[in-house]
Amino acid sequence: MKKRVAIIAANGGLFDAYKVFNIATAAAATEAEVAIFFTFEGLNLIHKEAYKQLPLPEGKEQIQQGFAQANVPSIPELVGMAQEMGVKFIACQMTMDVMGLTKEHFVDGIDVGGAVTFLDFAKDADITLTF
Amino acid sequence: MTIHVDYVVDARGLACPMPIVRTKKAMEQLQPGQVLEVQATDKGSLADIQGWAKNTGHQYIGTIEEGEVLKHYLRKVNPTEVKEETKYPHVVALDELQRKVENNEQPFILDVREEAEYAFGHIPGAYHIPLGQLETRMNELNKNETIYVICRTGNRSDLAAQQLAEKGFAHVFNVIPGMTEWKGTMVKGGNE
Repeated sequence: MKKRVAIIAANGGLFDAYKVFNIATAAAATEAEVAIFFTFEGLNLIHKEAYKQLPLPEGKEQIQQGFAQANVPSIPELVGMAQEMGVKFIACQMTMDVMGLTKEHFVDGIDVGGAVTFLDFAKDADITLTF
Repeated sequence: MTIHVDYVVDARGLACPMPIVRTKKAMEQLQPGQVLEVQATDKGSLADIQGWAKNTGHQYIGTIEEGEVLKHYLRKVNPTEVKEETKYPHVVALDELQRKVENNEQPFILDVREEAEYAFGHIPGAYHIPLGQLETRMNELNKNETIYVICRTGNRSDLAAQQLAEKGFAHVFNVIPGMTEWKGTMVKGGNE
Protein backbone atom coordinates (compact mmCIF):
# COMPACT_ATOMS: atom_id res chain seq x y z
CA MET A 1 0.00 0.00 0.00
CA LYS A 2 1.09 3.55 -0.71
CA LYS A 3 2.60 5.60 2.09
CA ARG A 4 0.41 8.50 3.11
CA VAL A 5 1.78 11.95 4.00
CA ALA A 6 -0.47 14.56 5.65
CA ILE A 7 0.75 18.15 5.86
CA ILE A 8 -0.70 21.20 7.60
CA ALA A 9 0.42 24.55 6.15
CA ALA A 10 -0.40 27.30 8.63
CA ASN A 11 2.12 30.01 7.71
CA GLY A 12 2.30 32.28 4.69
CA GLY A 13 5.93 33.22 4.04
CA LEU A 14 8.20 32.20 1.18
CA PHE A 15 10.27 29.91 3.40
CA ASP A 16 7.12 28.22 4.64
CA ALA A 17 6.01 27.68 1.05
CA TYR A 18 9.27 25.96 0.10
CA LYS A 19 9.18 23.71 3.13
CA VAL A 20 5.64 22.64 2.35
CA PHE A 21 5.92 22.19 -1.40
CA ASN A 22 9.40 20.64 -1.52
CA ILE A 23 8.41 17.95 0.95
CA ALA A 24 5.07 17.44 -0.78
CA THR A 25 6.49 17.08 -4.31
CA ALA A 26 9.37 14.88 -3.14
CA ALA A 27 6.90 12.62 -1.32
CA ALA A 28 4.58 12.46 -4.34
CA ALA A 29 7.56 11.64 -6.59
CA THR A 30 8.39 8.81 -4.22
CA GLU A 31 4.91 7.45 -4.81
CA ALA A 32 3.27 8.61 -1.61
CA GLU A 33 -0.29 9.84 -1.40
CA VAL A 34 -0.07 13.45 -0.21
CA ALA A 35 -2.63 15.97 1.07
CA ILE A 36 -1.99 19.49 2.35
CA PHE A 37 -4.43 21.33 4.57
CA PHE A 38 -4.03 25.11 4.15
CA THR A 39 -5.24 27.11 7.08
CA PHE A 40 -4.92 30.72 8.32
CA GLU A 41 -1.88 32.36 6.71
CA GLY A 42 -1.09 29.09 4.98
CA LEU A 43 -3.88 29.98 2.53
CA ASN A 44 -1.46 32.52 0.97
CA LEU A 45 0.51 29.60 -0.47
CA ILE A 46 -2.29 28.74 -2.91
CA HIS A 47 -3.83 32.22 -3.31
CA LYS A 48 -3.79 33.08 -7.05
CA GLU A 49 -2.10 36.44 -6.50
CA ALA A 50 -0.36 36.17 -3.14
CA TYR A 51 1.58 33.01 -4.01
CA LYS A 52 3.49 34.83 -6.75
CA GLN A 53 5.18 37.16 -4.27
CA LEU A 54 5.30 35.62 -0.84
CA PRO A 55 7.24 37.65 1.74
CA LEU A 56 10.68 36.71 3.01
CA PRO A 57 11.28 37.03 6.74
CA GLU A 58 12.18 40.58 7.72
CA GLY A 59 15.88 41.30 7.31
CA LYS A 60 16.43 38.26 5.03
CA GLU A 61 15.41 39.92 1.77
CA GLN A 62 18.88 39.44 0.28
CA ILE A 63 18.25 35.67 0.19
CA GLN A 64 15.96 36.26 -2.80
CA GLN A 65 19.11 36.26 -4.95
CA GLY A 66 20.21 32.96 -3.47
CA PHE A 67 16.99 31.33 -4.68
CA ALA A 68 17.64 32.54 -8.21
CA GLN A 69 21.29 31.45 -8.17
CA ALA A 70 20.49 27.97 -6.89
CA ASN A 71 17.94 27.68 -9.73
CA VAL A 72 15.16 26.83 -7.30
CA PRO A 73 11.77 26.56 -9.02
CA SER A 74 9.26 29.32 -8.27
CA ILE A 75 6.33 28.65 -5.95
CA PRO A 76 3.77 28.71 -8.80
CA GLU A 77 5.93 26.13 -10.61
CA LEU A 78 6.10 23.91 -7.54
CA VAL A 79 2.36 24.23 -6.98
CA GLY A 80 1.69 23.15 -10.58
CA MET A 81 4.10 20.25 -10.27
CA ALA A 82 2.60 19.09 -6.99
CA GLN A 83 -0.90 19.11 -8.46
CA GLU A 84 0.27 17.31 -11.58
CA MET A 85 1.62 14.52 -9.38
CA GLY A 86 -1.65 14.19 -7.55
CA VAL A 87 -0.99 16.15 -4.34
CA LYS A 88 -4.38 17.05 -2.87
CA PHE A 89 -4.91 20.64 -1.69
CA ILE A 90 -7.55 21.27 0.95
CA ALA A 91 -8.34 24.89 1.85
CA CYS A 92 -9.82 25.50 5.26
CA GLN A 93 -13.43 26.63 4.95
CA MET A 94 -13.50 28.34 8.31
CA THR A 95 -10.44 30.50 7.61
CA MET A 96 -11.83 31.41 4.20
CA ASP A 97 -15.07 32.58 5.79
CA VAL A 98 -13.20 34.64 8.37
CA MET A 99 -11.04 36.27 5.70
CA GLY A 100 -13.87 36.76 3.21
CA LEU A 101 -12.28 34.53 0.57
CA THR A 102 -13.99 32.20 -1.91
CA LYS A 103 -12.75 29.25 -3.97
CA GLU A 104 -12.24 31.61 -6.94
CA HIS A 105 -9.42 33.38 -5.11
CA PHE A 106 -7.31 30.23 -5.19
CA VAL A 107 -5.51 28.18 -7.81
CA ASP A 108 -7.68 25.71 -9.71
CA GLY A 109 -8.18 22.16 -8.60
CA ILE A 110 -8.37 22.64 -4.83
CA ASP A 111 -10.87 21.15 -2.42
CA VAL A 112 -12.48 23.18 0.31
CA GLY A 113 -13.19 21.43 3.56
CA GLY A 114 -13.30 21.58 7.30
CA ALA A 115 -10.99 20.14 9.87
CA VAL A 116 -12.63 16.72 9.65
CA THR A 117 -11.92 16.52 5.91
CA PHE A 118 -8.24 16.72 6.74
CA LEU A 119 -8.46 14.49 9.80
CA ASP A 120 -10.20 11.82 7.77
CA PHE A 121 -7.17 11.72 5.46
CA ALA A 122 -4.63 12.15 8.27
CA LYS A 123 -5.98 9.34 10.46
CA ASP A 124 -4.28 6.74 8.21
CA ALA A 125 -1.16 8.83 7.52
CA ASP A 126 2.30 7.35 7.92
CA ILE A 127 3.85 10.81 8.21
CA THR A 128 2.21 13.97 9.52
CA LEU A 129 3.93 17.34 9.27
CA THR A 130 3.05 20.86 10.33
CA PHE A 131 4.64 23.97 8.87
CA MET B 1 33.63 4.83 -18.44
CA THR B 2 30.80 5.03 -20.98
CA ILE B 3 27.76 3.01 -20.11
CA HIS B 4 24.92 2.16 -22.43
CA VAL B 5 21.58 3.28 -20.98
CA ASP B 6 18.05 3.33 -22.33
CA TYR B 7 17.19 6.87 -21.24
CA VAL B 8 18.99 9.93 -19.88
CA VAL B 9 17.50 12.57 -17.58
CA ASP B 10 19.31 15.91 -17.62
CA ALA B 11 18.71 17.48 -14.21
CA ARG B 12 21.95 19.46 -14.21
CA GLY B 13 21.59 22.86 -12.55
CA LEU B 14 18.30 21.92 -10.91
CA ALA B 15 17.73 22.13 -7.16
CA CYS B 16 15.91 19.69 -4.89
CA PRO B 17 13.31 18.26 -5.39
CA MET B 18 13.60 18.58 -9.20
CA PRO B 19 16.09 15.74 -9.84
CA ILE B 20 13.74 13.34 -8.04
CA VAL B 21 10.65 14.69 -9.79
CA ARG B 22 12.34 14.29 -13.19
CA THR B 23 13.53 10.79 -12.26
CA LYS B 24 10.03 9.68 -11.33
CA LYS B 25 8.58 11.02 -14.58
CA ALA B 26 11.25 9.33 -16.70
CA MET B 27 10.87 6.03 -14.87
CA GLU B 28 7.19 5.96 -15.82
CA GLN B 29 8.21 5.91 -19.50
CA LEU B 30 10.63 2.99 -19.17
CA GLN B 31 9.95 -0.71 -19.57
CA PRO B 32 10.92 -3.05 -16.72
CA GLY B 33 14.58 -3.97 -16.98
CA GLN B 34 15.61 -0.77 -18.75
CA VAL B 35 18.34 1.43 -17.34
CA LEU B 36 18.09 5.15 -16.61
CA GLU B 37 20.92 7.64 -16.20
CA VAL B 38 20.18 10.76 -14.14
CA GLN B 39 22.63 13.63 -14.51
CA ALA B 40 22.54 16.10 -11.64
CA THR B 41 24.68 18.79 -10.06
CA ASP B 42 22.62 18.87 -6.84
CA LYS B 43 24.91 17.13 -4.34
CA GLY B 44 21.94 16.10 -2.22
CA SER B 45 20.74 13.98 -5.13
CA LEU B 46 23.30 11.30 -4.22
CA ALA B 47 21.46 10.42 -1.03
CA ASP B 48 18.04 11.32 -2.43
CA ILE B 49 18.26 8.97 -5.42
CA GLN B 50 19.21 6.06 -3.17
CA GLY B 51 16.37 6.83 -0.77
CA TRP B 52 13.99 7.18 -3.68
CA ALA B 53 14.99 3.81 -5.12
CA LYS B 54 14.62 2.13 -1.75
CA ASN B 55 11.12 3.50 -1.30
CA THR B 56 9.86 2.88 -4.83
CA GLY B 57 11.41 -0.58 -5.19
CA HIS B 58 13.58 0.29 -8.20
CA GLN B 59 17.22 -0.75 -8.33
CA TYR B 60 19.94 1.79 -7.59
CA ILE B 61 22.99 0.60 -9.53
CA GLY B 62 25.53 3.26 -8.67
CA THR B 63 26.84 6.76 -9.24
CA ILE B 64 29.79 8.14 -11.18
CA GLU B 65 31.17 11.59 -10.43
CA GLU B 66 32.44 13.52 -13.41
CA GLY B 67 33.63 16.91 -12.24
CA GLU B 68 30.55 18.76 -11.01
CA VAL B 69 28.15 16.26 -12.50
CA LEU B 70 26.81 13.21 -10.69
CA LYS B 71 25.60 10.43 -12.95
CA HIS B 72 23.19 8.13 -11.17
CA TYR B 73 22.21 4.78 -12.67
CA LEU B 74 18.88 3.13 -11.93
CA ARG B 75 17.13 0.07 -13.30
CA LYS B 76 13.38 -0.22 -13.50
CA VAL B 77 12.30 -3.29 -11.59
CA ASN B 78 9.46 -5.48 -12.75
CA PRO B 79 7.04 -5.80 -9.79
CA THR B 80 6.91 -9.57 -10.29
CA GLU B 81 10.69 -9.98 -10.55
CA VAL B 82 11.21 -10.62 -6.87
CA LYS B 83 8.57 -13.31 -6.59
CA GLU B 84 9.06 -15.14 -9.88
CA GLU B 85 9.88 -18.82 -9.43
CA THR B 86 13.02 -20.37 -10.78
CA LYS B 87 12.25 -22.91 -13.48
CA TYR B 88 15.60 -24.00 -14.85
CA PRO B 89 16.45 -27.18 -12.91
CA HIS B 90 20.27 -27.07 -12.84
CA VAL B 91 21.45 -24.60 -10.26
CA VAL B 92 24.65 -23.90 -8.38
CA ALA B 93 24.86 -22.09 -5.08
CA LEU B 94 26.74 -18.83 -5.12
CA ASP B 95 29.25 -19.90 -2.44
CA GLU B 96 30.04 -22.98 -4.51
CA LEU B 97 30.89 -20.74 -7.43
CA GLN B 98 32.96 -18.51 -5.19
CA ARG B 99 34.92 -21.57 -4.04
CA LYS B 100 35.64 -22.52 -7.67
CA VAL B 101 36.81 -18.99 -8.43
CA GLU B 102 39.05 -18.88 -5.37
CA ASN B 103 40.51 -22.36 -6.08
CA ASN B 104 41.52 -20.97 -9.44
CA GLU B 105 39.40 -23.53 -11.32
CA GLN B 106 38.58 -20.68 -13.71
CA PRO B 107 34.90 -21.47 -14.22
CA PHE B 108 33.34 -19.81 -17.27
CA ILE B 109 30.93 -17.25 -15.83
CA LEU B 110 28.34 -15.55 -18.02
CA ASP B 111 26.95 -12.33 -16.51
CA VAL B 112 23.61 -11.43 -18.11
CA ARG B 113 22.88 -8.17 -16.28
CA GLU B 114 22.63 -4.77 -17.98
CA GLU B 115 25.81 -2.98 -18.94
CA ALA B 116 25.56 -0.41 -16.14
CA GLU B 117 25.17 -3.12 -13.50
CA TYR B 118 28.15 -5.05 -14.86
CA ALA B 119 30.28 -1.91 -15.02
CA PHE B 120 29.67 -1.12 -11.33
CA GLY B 121 31.03 -4.48 -10.23
CA HIS B 122 31.36 -8.03 -11.54
CA ILE B 123 33.30 -11.22 -10.84
CA PRO B 124 36.82 -10.97 -12.34
CA GLY B 125 36.86 -12.61 -15.76
CA ALA B 126 33.06 -12.87 -16.05
CA TYR B 127 31.91 -12.75 -19.66
CA HIS B 128 29.19 -10.20 -20.27
CA ILE B 129 26.14 -10.51 -22.51
CA PRO B 130 22.96 -8.73 -21.33
CA LEU B 131 19.93 -11.03 -21.34
CA GLY B 132 18.30 -9.00 -24.13
CA GLN B 133 21.25 -9.69 -26.46
CA LEU B 134 21.79 -13.33 -25.62
CA GLU B 135 19.77 -14.74 -28.47
CA THR B 136 21.80 -12.94 -31.14
CA ARG B 137 25.17 -13.37 -29.45
CA MET B 138 25.06 -17.06 -28.49
CA ASN B 139 27.69 -17.80 -31.13
CA GLU B 140 30.25 -16.17 -28.82
CA LEU B 141 29.81 -19.09 -26.42
CA ASN B 142 31.05 -22.66 -26.52
CA LYS B 143 28.27 -25.28 -26.42
CA ASN B 144 30.45 -27.91 -24.79
CA GLU B 145 31.88 -25.76 -22.05
CA THR B 146 30.37 -25.62 -18.58
CA ILE B 147 28.71 -22.21 -18.22
CA TYR B 148 27.72 -20.59 -14.94
CA VAL B 149 25.06 -17.97 -15.63
CA ILE B 150 24.70 -15.16 -13.12
CA CYS B 151 22.62 -11.99 -12.74
CA ARG B 152 21.52 -9.89 -9.78
CA THR B 153 19.07 -12.20 -8.00
CA GLY B 154 18.80 -15.34 -10.14
CA ASN B 155 15.77 -14.52 -12.30
CA ARG B 156 17.34 -13.20 -15.47
CA SER B 157 20.02 -15.88 -15.27
CA ASP B 158 17.25 -18.46 -15.02
CA LEU B 159 15.75 -17.20 -18.28
CA ALA B 160 19.19 -17.09 -19.88
CA ALA B 161 19.95 -20.67 -18.78
CA GLN B 162 16.66 -21.83 -20.30
CA GLN B 163 17.45 -20.07 -23.59
CA LEU B 164 20.88 -21.65 -23.72
CA ALA B 165 19.56 -25.13 -22.92
CA GLU B 166 16.97 -24.83 -25.70
CA LYS B 167 19.75 -24.06 -28.19
CA GLY B 168 21.68 -27.17 -27.24
CA PHE B 169 24.08 -25.91 -24.60
CA ALA B 170 24.60 -29.04 -22.54
CA HIS B 171 26.37 -27.86 -19.37
CA VAL B 172 24.62 -24.79 -18.12
CA PHE B 173 24.10 -23.88 -14.46
CA ASN B 174 22.07 -21.03 -13.02
CA VAL B 175 23.91 -19.42 -10.11
CA ILE B 176 21.64 -18.54 -7.21
CA PRO B 177 20.97 -16.17 -5.72
CA GLY B 178 23.25 -13.75 -7.65
CA MET B 179 25.47 -10.71 -7.42
CA THR B 180 23.42 -9.16 -4.58
CA GLU B 181 24.94 -11.76 -2.25
CA TRP B 182 28.41 -12.08 -3.82
CA LYS B 183 31.12 -11.78 -1.17
CA GLY B 184 34.18 -12.49 -3.30
CA THR B 185 36.38 -10.08 -5.25
CA MET B 186 34.80 -7.74 -7.75
CA VAL B 187 36.18 -5.55 -10.49
CA LYS B 188 34.66 -2.49 -12.12
CA GLY B 189 34.63 -1.39 -15.71
CA GLY B 190 33.38 -2.42 -19.11
CA ASN B 191 33.58 -5.68 -21.02
CA GLU B 192 36.48 -8.02 -20.37
